[in-house]
Amino acid sequence: MLFFSYFKDLVGREVTVELKNDLAIRGTLHSVDQYLNIKLENTRVVDQDKYPHMLSVRNCFIRGSVVRYVQLPPEGVDIELLHDATRREARGG
Amino acid sequence: MVVGLRNFTERVGDGAGQPVLDADNGEELMHVEPGVAIVFGSHPPESPGTLFISTKQVIWLSDVDRAKGYAVDFLSVSLHAISRDPEAYPSPCIYTQIEAEEDEAHSEGSDSECDGTLDLSKITEMRLIPSDPSQLETLFEIFCGCAELNPEPNDEEEEEHNWIFSADQMEDDATGEENSEWHFANNPSHPIGQSNGHHDLAQPMLELQISDERFEDAEEMERNSGSGHN
Repeated sequence: MLFFSYFKDLVGREVTVELKNDLAIRGTLHSVDQYLNIKLENTRVVDQDKYPHMLSVRNCFIRGSVVRYVQLPPEGVDIELLHDATRREARGG
Repeated sequence: MVVGLRNFTERVGDGAGQPVLDADNGEELMHVEPGVAIVFGSHPPESPGTLFISTKQVIWLSDVDRAKGYAVDFLSVSLHAISRDPEAYPSPCIYTQIEAEEDEAHSEGSDSECDGTLDLSKITEMRLIPSDPSQLETLFEIFCGCAELNPEPNDEEEEEHNWIFSADQMEDDATGEENSEWHFANNPSHPIGQSNGHHDLAQPMLELQISDERFEDAEEMERNSGSGHN
């Protein structure tokens, strides 16, 4: 649940979601659910030459299970908070 | 589970009919959208047809040919989006990416066609074009809702361990696959499950593991407790 809560805090920020099929999509995080399914708005494909079909897409829903990485804005990462949360999670609390 | 796109022919009712759903396993129809054309990769659209969205899958049935229909489980729908830019595609549509068989070399566009027949299992892109574009938002939201109804089957189990690994888990993962082969290659006389002098069937497994250098810690512990088998 840690990552679910964490991503929820990032709603409204700009992230890049890299899929397991190498497609990387940059956009504003619109919402995330408990399965880490991700909805993006104002999207643009990072490698547009490779995925011309995605050019027209302005918002999309990405299945959590196909996400490889989510690149976060540095200002969206509160290290102290994450330290704390991971420790609590590890203790099972 | 079938990965990717497949043919779907089971219908009930008169005329074009309705798809047969797996009601015993709780599958329910969520939405019916008439007048939808379907496009695979860069192939020409197929129409006219009707789109059926159930709690488990997306089904498209031809209105004129009862033998023609396609389905894809939500589990295989990696991504969906509304596409409106006429430069990308002439008609506004729901654009989807489909998880296909793991054969990257043949997964794109026209490569999916062999001998003139479409190899559905290799299709990675599908467009659904409603004759009424004002339905796109609705369809998009229904897709979102249904995707949430279909998390990965083993999600429950993995949830705790998906992201954070302890050193022990990493080791297990790293040895897991090679191990099974190793058992058979080096110990043909001790097949797992055969009682080779020990009464405890778990014993042969234990022996194999502790003779593996990757389990040095385990071996030490065994020795310390005075029950080593080497």
